[in-house]
Amino acid sequence: MKLPSKPMLITIILVIISPIFGVILADLVGYHEPLDVAAEKLGLQDISENINWTPFFDYTVPGLNPIVGYVISGFIGIAVIISIGYALSKITGERRH
Amino acid sequence: MHIPDGFLDPIWSITTYGVSAVYFMSILRGMKRTFTPERISLLTVLAAGIFAAQMLNWPLPGGTSLHFVGGALAGILLGPFYGSLALALVVTVQCLVFHDGGITALGANLLNMAIVDVLAGYAAYRAVTKVIGLSGRSRFIGGFLGGWLGITLAGIVCGIEIGLSPQFPYGIAITVPIMGSWHALLGVIEGLITGLVVSYVASKNPEIIFSDKVRT
Repeated sequence: MKLPSKPMLITIILVIISPIFGVILADLVGYHEPLDVAAEKLGLQDISENINWTPFFDYTVPGLNPIVGYVISGFIGIAVIISIGYALSKITGERRH
Repeated sequence: MHIPDGFLDPIWSITTYGVSAVYFMSILRGMKRTFTPERISLLTVLAAGIFAAQMLNWPLPGGTSLHFVGGALAGILLGPFYGSLALALVVTVQCLVFHDGGITALGANLLNMAIVDVLAGYAAYRAVTKVIGLSGRSRFIGGFLGGWLGITLAGIVCGIEIGLSPQFPYGIAITVPIMGSWHALLGVIEGLITGLVVSYVASKNPEIIFSDKVRT
């Protein structure tokens, strides 16, 4: 599977700058989506931390500071997506032959 | 937009899992013959790009935040079914690897972002380019309206899912106006990004845009 280089470069740049928006500004200003506003009104409780299964919870990496962890998480996510795409492409290619 | 664990009533959790499962099983059955390594490659690179773009959370004045969702963009560039698969890949990886979006809400998150957003965005783009004719201007307007409509409808459906519960008899009267109005407002930014990206792709590689090839 050949991935076009320009979109991949843009993706890598987005991941590298992502902590500015996902960690630094979110900490300064507070991240509050409309979904959080609606849930607060109903008194809904987010129980994700109580039933968590992943070491990369909320784009963090154990032992790393949040900014570095966020970037590493971004690359892990992209690597997983590309691996699945690669597997799908291989299966598709083999079926065609 | 990612519903976490704890927000959904079990009835909605099961129902949305069911709806999403039926949708994806039926489109996969229909898509089998159209799978090519080239299309998978496009799907993968777009999914990776959307995953990265969703990591950028934009705090906005007034105390709320948003991130780009990209469902409409995927629908316009890849078509409704490949677009849905791209978003499903993103949403599932976010849930399973990063617990961004609950496992009990995965069906709902797929329904909102990989189905409603994608299909609405695709339909709006197709309608605009059909009425105005295919041009740079119509592609931007179609992308803008697709992005705006997709995110607004996805927000409304999300409001229905969390508000419609036996625990809160009048919950949707609270959640739908909040989700609908905020997403209609934030959808302007999603629409602008979608319109600009579609215009850019059209100027460089117009043959990539699946929605422009389907002319009925």
